[in-house]
Parts: sequence; structure tokens; C-alpha cells
Amino acid sequence: MSPALLSVEGLRVGFRSADGGMIEAVRGVDFSVAPGEAVGIVGESGSGKSLSMLAVMRLLGAPARATGGRVLFDGEDLLAADEKRMRALRGRDIAMVFQDPQSSLNPALTIGRQITDVVRAHRGVSSAEARRIAAEALERVGIREAGRRLASYPHEFSGGMRQRALIAMAIACRPRLLIADEPTTALDVTVQAQIVDLIAELRRELGLAVVFISHNLQLVAEIVDRVVVMYGGKVVEDGPVEAIERAPRHPYTGLLKACVPSLSGPVGPLTAIEGAPPRLGRLPAGCPFSPRCPDAIESCASEMPALIAEAGHRTACWRPR
Amino acid sequence: MTGPILSLRGVSKSFPQGGLFDRLLGRDSRLVALDDVSLDVMRGDVVGIVGESGSGKSTLAGLAVGLAKPTSGEVLLDGAPMSELMRDHAGPWRRRVQMVFQDSSSALNPRKSVARCLGETLALCGVPKTQRDSEITDLLTLVGLGPEIGPRLPHELSGGQRQRIGLARALAMKPEVLIADEPVSALDVSLQAQVINLLSRLTSELGLTLLFISHDLALVRTLCSRIVVMRKGTIVEQGPCLDVLDRPQHPYTQALIAAVPKGLAGRRTPLPVRAGAAAPEPREDIHGAA
Repeated sequence: MSPALLSVEGLRVGFRSADGGMIEAVRGVDFSVAPGEAVGIVGESGSGKSLSMLAVMRLLGAPARATGGRVLFDGEDLLAADEKRMRALRGRDIAMVFQDPQSSLNPALTIGRQITDVVRAHRGVSSAEARRIAAEALERVGIREAGRRLASYPHEFSGGMRQRALIAMAIACRPRLLIADEPTTALDVTVQAQIVDLIAELRRELGLAVVFISHNLQLVAEIVDRVVVMYGGKVVEDGPVEAIERAPRHPYTGLLKACVPSLSGPVGPLTAIEGAPPRLGRLPAGCPFSPRCPDAIESCASEMPALIAEAGHRTACWRPR
Repeated sequence: MTGPILSLRGVSKSFPQGGLFDRLLGRDSRLVALDDVSLDVMRGDVVGIVGESGSGKSTLAGLAVGLAKPTSGEVLLDGAPMSELMRDHAGPWRRRVQMVFQDSSSALNPRKSVARCLGETLALCGVPKTQRDSEITDLLTLVGLGPEIGPRLPHELSGGQRQRIGLARALAMKPEVLIADEPVSALDVSLQAQVINLLSRLTSELGLTLLFISHDLALVRTLCSRIVVMRKGTIVEQGPCLDVLDRPQHPYTQALIAAVPKGLAGRRTPLPVRAGAAAPEPREDIHGAA
């Protein structure tokens, strides 16, 4: 077993609420990513998936902050690192791509300038060399006439091209970990497929480890090795993608899969999950999914089940399937 | 034999493009959002309109509901042209064709309670004050909500509940045609199914004609009897939903279907070998020089 590249241990993220109390949004999350491994983090809004990864990058903005746990990257605790060290790591060793490529790019600067800024900050190369690296990165993500495109502004790019440009920026310094937070949600479905293929390809060729955050289990299953399912600020299931797809153990995972229709099979009413996703600060003491769970028994609401591992597949459920 | 409830006859819609400066220089051009589109929707049909952004599907929705006028061509309701129905008084058209929007939080007034929002709509329909409370309860029940929702403000509701209120408000008008523009795309997946099942039940119970605008082919397959595939302002393919999705004829429809995420079945990279955990592949230097 190779040592983990990223190891998140007991991570907690909270918000200071108006009345001075603390509302926890990430409530003790554990998972790890091996070098070169692709892990999908799946969950609905409020599950804590994006906050967890922002905490890893130390990009949480007030009033959110990490309140506990450790984030080990290559053995180093990022939650304890100073800002200078984080700035050196971000963009060089760990890169992140966000949902909205429009707002992630500075509209007033050329694409080339934005990529070369990152390259020069981390690699200490001449501006000519930085431009060469930037052009190569753009070409690598499938943008034609990359050299000429460096002079383009973000508004001259389509949504898909902007996301490609951001991925180019992310890989330009050859990071070991790429975190992609819903990178295709704002894109059309045909463009989404291209971006997902691109990430899979880069991962294979560059040996990148990838954390792919999404609400879409079907999408994630196309490219990751392992899936971490989050609900109400907790990891409820974590296992190899085949197991999660074919034999999910947590009822939430099973329902999440069932409520998304496919393009084959019989047509009929969809499997719905009753109720609504939990609201922060109003979570039951026990399993966060218990109020909506068809399999729940009384004790589910009062006591949180531990995340129990069985042959590399972890499930937090009193009544796993 | 009855005719279509809603028809588009050679409808085009274009918007002026470019700023004032361009126009002063006579360089004005127009963006064609819909290009000579003809479509017949029969009473009781549930029609899915699919396409990517820029395909013209939302423009079509806006025209059908009377929020915009076509640049050329005609929109007909039950054989009567919109231009005539709208000339004197837009009320009847608006009542018969209602819309549910994508973003329920911006479609509802944040300062008005659910009961007030629905009550005002009922007042517009001429429901007397004495009956409004009971009609509000009926509407809430219809969309699967309890009367306790009435006094709440939109921000106190979940996204799924807000979308149900948007639907209740549209149904308050007792419309014949309902147009839903991406009604579930802003919702979490676990709530999408609830709203889709609700739409499906309501269309059959109330005999509604539904235009369901979506980019999600699988949802359209679940809900709709017919499908219209749009691209760049034109209809490239249409027909019975299952026929089109199982045997797509147009390359664009085929491309849309191919792009739908299919989980493990859609995997283009091999599954990792589990035995010794995924061994990291050697890193290549993408830049050639170190």
C-alpha cells in the first residue's frame, strides 16, 4: 500500500453564526487520495463536499474556518502551514479548478498573462520561457493555435475553452494533485463530456492525482477509481467505483443512484428521496440521512454510526444494504 | 378531429447585436435565436424540448407564453393567432398558457408570503376573497405541500418547495398549456425526481399540455411523450420520445445522446486493478525541459 498523497483526518469546518454560536458544516471527515489516484466526492448541496476541499486548499473565507482535524499533503499538515508555505504549494503542488470558468478568470487580462503569472510565480523562469510553457499547456488541453490564443481575453473564449484554459493554468506547474470542483456543471452536456475526457487523459499522462467533486454519480463513475459519498457534513460511504455503482451499501448512495434516470430501461415514475437535504445546524444527533431514510429505525436518529471498513469499502450505516 | 392547441408557423426571432456605436456606424447585425421554426403541439401532449445553450429552446418558450413577439411568423393558440388575442387584452392568452421558471428564488417575490403570492394570482383570475383561502390550500395540496407553508416567505423554503410554489402559482390560472423552462436544473438530484414525478402526475390528472424545456435527455425520456431536438435556432429532429432517443437519426441528436454520463458503462478509461492499490504511473515531463 503506497502512502497517501493527501490524507484528510477528522476535518471539521464551522461557521460563526449571528448569535455567536458555531454551526458545523463539515463534521469529522476522513478520506485519503493515493498518488495518481482519482477520487470522486459526491454529494448534494450542503453535504460539505466543496467546503472540505476549500479547507484542504486553505481557501475558506470568513465566516467559515477549519475547526479541527488534519490535512496531510505528502505528510505535511496543511492546516498548520503558514500562509507563505500555502502560497508556494497552491498552484504548484496542488491546483484547483472551479465550477464557473467565467468568474475564475480575470476579464481584464489576457489568457496568456494569467497563465504566465502562475508559471513565473512558481518556477522562476524568464518571461519568454513562461510564455513557451503557457503555450504548451494550452496546446496540451486541446486549444488550437495555442501560441496565438495567449493574446486572447477570456470573453473571446467559449465556456468550454475557458474551462480548458483554467485546466491549462492548473497543470502548467505540473502539480501532483488536481482538485476539480464541479468543473462541468456550468457547461453544456457535449462540452462536459470533452472536459471529463480531458481530465482523465491528463491524469493518465501526467500521473496526476485527481479529486473530482460532483453531485452527479454517473458522471464521476466515468473517470474515478474511488467514490466518497458525503451527506450532512459526513462521509457516509467510501469505496471502489465498481462497488459503489453495482452494490452500494448505504441507503443514501443507493437512492442517489436510483433517482437519476438513465437513457435505457423501462420508463416509469422516478425513485424519489422524500424530504429535503438537511439544513445546517438542524441535523439529528445520529445519522444525518435518517429523517429521509426508508430503512431507518429509531436508533438511527439518535446515534451516529461509525464509518466501518470492510475490504476497502467504508460505510457509516446501522443497517447497510 | 381537433387541431393543435399550440402552433408555431414559420416563427423567427432575432435580437439586435452590438452597441450603439456599431449601430451609428451602420454596422448593426442581428442575432438569430430562432430561424423559421414550425411546431404543432397537440392537446395533452407532453413535449420535451432539448438542445444546448444557444439552441433557441428558451426563446421558443418565451414566444409560446407571450413574453416576446416573433420577428416573423405566427404563434397560434387553438388556431387563433397570438397577435389577435394579444391586441386588445393579453389576459386570456396569459391565463391559458402559463410558465414555470428555472430559478425559483428569483421567480418569487422575496417579500411576499406563499399565501399572498398565490392569493394575488387567484385575485387576478377573479376568485372572490372569501374563497381564496380554501383555493390556496387546494393548490398547495395539489403540489404536495401542507397549509403550514402558506405564511412562509420564499427564503424559508427549500429549493424543491419553492419550485412547487412556482408550479402552484402557474396552476392557479387553470392553464391549458404549461411551459416549464429547465424547472429542475437548479435542484439537487434527490429533489429533481420529486418535481418530475409531480409534473408527470399533474399533467395526467389535469389533462395539461406540457412543454418541458431541458438539457437533460434522461429526464425528458422519463416524462415526455414527444421530443423536439433543437440546434442553433432550428428543429433538427422530432418525434415520439422513445423512438427518437432509441433510434436517433440526426447526427446532433446522436452526439447529445453519446454525451450523457452513463456511469461505469460510459467509462472510457479502464478500471484500476485493485490488488496492490492503484500504482502511480510514472510522471512525464510535459514541458520537455525541467
